[in-house]
Amino acid sequence: MDTPLDTLTLSHFLLTGAVLFVLGVIGFVTRRNLIIMFLCTEMMFQGVVVSLAAFSRLHLHVTGQTFVIFVLTIAAAEAALALGLVVLLFRRKRTLDAEAWSQMSG
Amino acid sequence: MDYTLYIASVMGAIAVYLMMPRRGFTPRKIGALLGAVTLGALWLILARSAGVGAGMPGGAWTYYYIFSAVAIASAVRVITHTRPVYSALWFVMVVLASAGLFLLLDAEFMAFAMVIIYGGAILVTYVFVIMLAAQSSGAEDDAAAPVYDRVAREPVAGVATGFLLLAVLLSVLFQPMQPNNAVASDDQAIIANVLTGRAEERLTQQIRDPKQQKMYADAVAKPDRLTNTQRVGMDLFAKHPLGLELAGVILLISLVGAVVIAKTKVEAEAAHSA
Repeated sequence: MDTPLDTLTLSHFLLTGAVLFVLGVIGFVTRRNLIIMFLCTEMMFQGVVVSLAAFSRLHLHVTGQTFVIFVLTIAAAEAALALGLVVLLFRRKRTLDAEAWSQMSG
Repeated sequence: MDYTLYIASVMGAIAVYLMMPRRGFTPRKIGALLGAVTLGALWLILARSAGVGAGMPGGAWTYYYIFSAVAIASAVRVITHTRPVYSALWFVMVVLASAGLFLLLDAEFMAFAMVIIYGGAILVTYVFVIMLAAQSSGAEDDAAAPVYDRVAREPVAGVATGFLLLAVLLSVLFQPMQPNNAVASDDQAIIANVLTGRAEERLTQQIRDPKQQKMYADAVAKPDRLTNTQRVGMDLFAKHPLGLELAGVILLISLVGAVVIAKTKVEAEAAHSA
């Protein structure tokens, strides 16, 4: 972590991060299974985390990696709460279909 | 270069759309082939035109293409697989591949933290919930899966919007940037101020365990260098103490919330016709 990173190299890593993020967005929009939808949010986190690590390497500054720890914390908290809610919803309707809850929209 | 990225985005959109689960016949193999060709062509063009790799050790550059291709292909499989368990397993593959990317970026601690926390803890939670909530059929064919897994919701609009976003992002990312003038952080100052005595010979001699002795011997051999883990730890505890406390509070609150949610009593409504 001593030689500075070429900006074109940075672009490549950001490409991977952007693709992971966008695929997560697409999955979140198109899938109807609640569990898969939350798995796709984890994939968006994954894309962001790759970008953070790339920027950390670009600036030769470790704070980008420290932020990854916070992202991990939020991801863990989100996974626990979201999956708890999903199980709750599943117990009520016996289905994981997100559209079964469309009546909740106002 | 710009047109390459736009064309790749359109081709990728078509490939992902073809792989989306739908009623009737899903041309998954055609989509996978198109996606593989697109990705391969994009990699070739990037590798040829860019002349990249500055700041990375010589052979490391090819690994970027390998890990990145694995991550992207697995991510597509996560969002197109009709069985949730396999989606979760493909997501483990995404995590492993991006851990490889972290190793290329000299973020060793993050690479292993990712594998342990994401690939281990969080994904196991997901798989547990999938097992709990699945209407298990046991059959291997896709037709046994419930309809909300077999049919995607608005695949055209979703894929088009997503890849439009991607095309815009990529055209920005590959703009010419200012040269990188970053200078390496000063390890000596930290060692002199905070970690004094870290590399003293007598510490090495006091340690009996040969493995740990070797670890400290490395520190003695490079007395002015910190490892990645030491740098992250110093940054986390010295510069972000408030964030650390907040993270602890968030974890505590989510713990309490999870307990409350788990103890909530619900009565099942009439069976929903999915």
